[in-house]
Amino acid sequence: MEQKIKNIVSKLSTSDIQFADVRITITDHEEIGFENGYLRAYSSSQGSPAVGIRVLMNGCWGFAGSKDLSAPSIDRLIKTAKQNAIQGSAFLKNKVSFPALQPTVAEFHHQPKINAFAMPKEEKMDYLRNLAEAIKPAGKIVHSIVGGEFTRQEKFYANSEGSFSHTSYYNTLPIMMVVAADSGQIQSRTWPGHMSAGRAGFELFYEQKFAENAERIIKEATDLLSAPTITEEKADIIIGNGHLALQLHESVGHATEADRIFGMEISYAGKTFVKPEMLGKFQYGSPIVNIYSDSTDPKGLGFHPMDDEGVPGKKIDIIKNGILVDQQTSRHIAHLLGLEPSSNMKGSYADDFPLVRMTNLCLAPGKGSLDELIASTENGYFLDFTKTWSIDDNRNNFQFTTEIGYKIKDGVIVGIVKEPTYFGITKDFWNACDAICGEEEWGYYSTFHCGKGEPGQIMQLSHGVAPARFKNINVSVKM
Amino acid sequence: MHETLLYLKAALDKHPELKYSISESYWQTDFYRFFQSQTNYNISKDNINLSADLYKGKKSYKFSIDDPDIPRIDKALLDALSIIDSLPEDPDFVDLETDTTLAEKRDIVNNITAIPLEQKTRILTSLAASAAKHDFELFGTFICNYSSSRLINSNRLDKFSIVSPIYLEIKAVHKQSQITVMETFGGDDFSYFELEDFRNRLVQKMLFCQNEVVNVEAGQYDVILAPRCVAEFVQYLSYGMSARALDQHSSYFDGKIDQQVFPESITITDDPTDAEMIRRDYGSSGHIYRPLKLIDKGYFRSFICDNYYHHKTGLPKNGNTASCLKIETGNKSLEELIGSVKRGLYVSSLHYMNFINAKETSLTGLTRDGTFLIEDGKISKVVMNLRFTEKIDRILKSIVALENRSYTIPFSENYESFDVETVKAPHALVKDFNITSSTNTI
Repeated sequence: MEQKIKNIVSKLSTSDIQFADVRITITDHEEIGFENGYLRAYSSSQGSPAVGIRVLMNGCWGFAGSKDLSAPSIDRLIKTAKQNAIQGSAFLKNKVSFPALQPTVAEFHHQPKINAFAMPKEEKMDYLRNLAEAIKPAGKIVHSIVGGEFTRQEKFYANSEGSFSHTSYYNTLPIMMVVAADSGQIQSRTWPGHMSAGRAGFELFYEQKFAENAERIIKEATDLLSAPTITEEKADIIIGNGHLALQLHESVGHATEADRIFGMEISYAGKTFVKPEMLGKFQYGSPIVNIYSDSTDPKGLGFHPMDDEGVPGKKIDIIKNGILVDQQTSRHIAHLLGLEPSSNMKGSYADDFPLVRMTNLCLAPGKGSLDELIASTENGYFLDFTKTWSIDDNRNNFQFTTEIGYKIKDGVIVGIVKEPTYFGITKDFWNACDAICGEEEWGYYSTFHCGKGEPGQIMQLSHGVAPARFKNINVSVKM
Repeated sequence: MHETLLYLKAALDKHPELKYSISESYWQTDFYRFFQSQTNYNISKDNINLSADLYKGKKSYKFSIDDPDIPRIDKALLDALSIIDSLPEDPDFVDLETDTTLAEKRDIVNNITAIPLEQKTRILTSLAASAAKHDFELFGTFICNYSSSRLINSNRLDKFSIVSPIYLEIKAVHKQSQITVMETFGGDDFSYFELEDFRNRLVQKMLFCQNEVVNVEAGQYDVILAPRCVAEFVQYLSYGMSARALDQHSSYFDGKIDQQVFPESITITDDPTDAEMIRRDYGSSGHIYRPLKLIDKGYFRSFICDNYYHHKTGLPKNGNTASCLKIETGNKSLEELIGSVKRGLYVSSLHYMNFINAKETSLTGLTRDGTFLIEDGKISKVVMNLRFTEKIDRILKSIVALENRSYTIPFSENYESFDVETVKAPHALVKDFNITSSTNTI
């Protein structure tokens, strides 16, 4: 495959092409889903190929992608990508350009502890069946889901500057959820929340203690049916990792994708309130808030030795001591902003056009344990596990509901509340952060389902977080 | 044509113990994206996929192959046969689809070749010139898809369908204020696209943006919902109309069949035959897709129910997927609707809605692409984008008037696989719509 991709790049090394890159991915995917204790779906897709060819001609991008890697198909794709660039340049004011990079070569191959594709199918099925059996409908539980998604992707990248990389990864997304119902209302609980994915194989089910938490989510979903709602207008809230990852994702991650500054995502995902002149000045959060993008940490799903336009993996500060200092960029956008490219260009599959994407976007840890943070909170709520999320297309006004809230009085949890909902403005919220737990509470929380771009791409990425406290937050939504 | 599908069928027919549903799909897109009145990129993509759902008794296994060939089909089938016996049963599976009714044949144009990139850039160049006169730039997408699919199952079902949707979405953004307005075209017949009408509607919206920009307080407002908003609320409502939601105890319509749930003015149909919309022939399991009355003069009439949930719930099955929703018009002109509002809002489009509680239809979301203040029956000011927290149930019950014409609104489906669908809806006047905060941005 290495020779194949290099041959394609050599066909693109002509004087009328300013830059070209080619990706090939081979993806295995398996999905197993139990509902109410019974196997509802077992699907498999092995060795799914994809190729994407991107050319910069006349200062305009052209792209063509396919699942067909045959020689006639490649020739057709080259022709189409060039035609797209030439025709697109008929409606162009500012030509795309960016500085050349020194060629680099990278190789990385991840191996999980338990390869979900190679392990005995009976062992995998027995584990999931037992888990499904443990949470199947009984009492007030009326619906339950247990499942897993397993992916393996091998990727080849080469560009006209001479860079080349060959990588492979295994990612897993485990799922467990129960729904309780009574008197026309429903409440749900998941474990360990919606950001449960990881760079791992089947071992993730054991590491995340799914079996040990089955009874907990059944009890909590049932108890939520009779739980009160929050009555205060404002409250101090501690956000647990099962939800904080999404708060970070929506209000910092997407907001600092610099393609949004130029309106490249207006038609679907939206814009950002961030402006270029804010860099180095804007007080995004309180001085304890440090947020960075790190594609060099192999423990996160966002790791890569080289992004999808040849930029080596990087760790960069986005927010330093509360101040916005950098952006997630492509080579083109970094050039427009006078920044160094941040290594954030990625396509989900090779036949997807690469976009500015989060990799491992992390909130740096502070100090202390979650127990200590709760103990130091006089009155407030500990909110965890995302239920509802929504943010405006400038990434400024958000509203979240979590599955459960734990009421804190005098430093002790004294009960639960259902559908705790809070809302705020991004800058005010991150400036209200007065405590972040330490490294002992810090970990990666990851998703398979970050949607962006058109045609839509669903990216796998990670957030490193530790529980944090936010003061005097709006927690009353009048319905 | 369909060689791999027929090869797989022949291989499966040697296993009479198996039931199967297999399909071969070809999908192609030309996806043109523009920003700041210039090209961002144009993407051409295609794929051939072969998929198979195999059943042995109540045990099932599915495989899918992109760019299929005989050796990979043989391997996938061998894997399937080696594992299926060891799988747990699904006691709710009874049989595959049995409806062999064929849809009426239609001449379907491949809009990728019918509307080449050259034509797209010509249309956009012309519209960009009009926008520039008002200091606006254009952002958006111009998409043509073409997909064909042949579905065969062991109950002698054999169906072939083609769809070629068009989606043009233009957002005009003012260069200084960033005020945004939107105009769209969607359907499968480009002869319905009238460039001058499209331009006039877009320019009219730009002219509204010359007014002062204000913020409004949280509270309850009389609101004119643009057709796109009405359509999107009804799309979200249709989640609860599925037999799957009913089975999962999360349907708003649980226990409400043939009951009045909304005012008499509300009629919602899932109609795949309207030539102004993107038409469909069959549901996902192959059942013919026919017009289905969901809400009839306020009464809930039908669940959307595929073959699997038909057997599980006992509800009548249909091929509907709520992909062709139509909301019946009322008897007021848009001018009359706006003219009847003393102080309220005009909402052009919605953003990032999510259910808080699907069974109760409670959700939150935001306005975007043009929110305006109405004072004394006229659009008077531009309003910063707003957050609402509402129940769709309450919104529909609070509709006091509907416009006397409807508009075809395209929506792009961006999660999982890319698709385009259309909804037909009029403007609606809603009383006491619950605005819960401002975004402080435009």
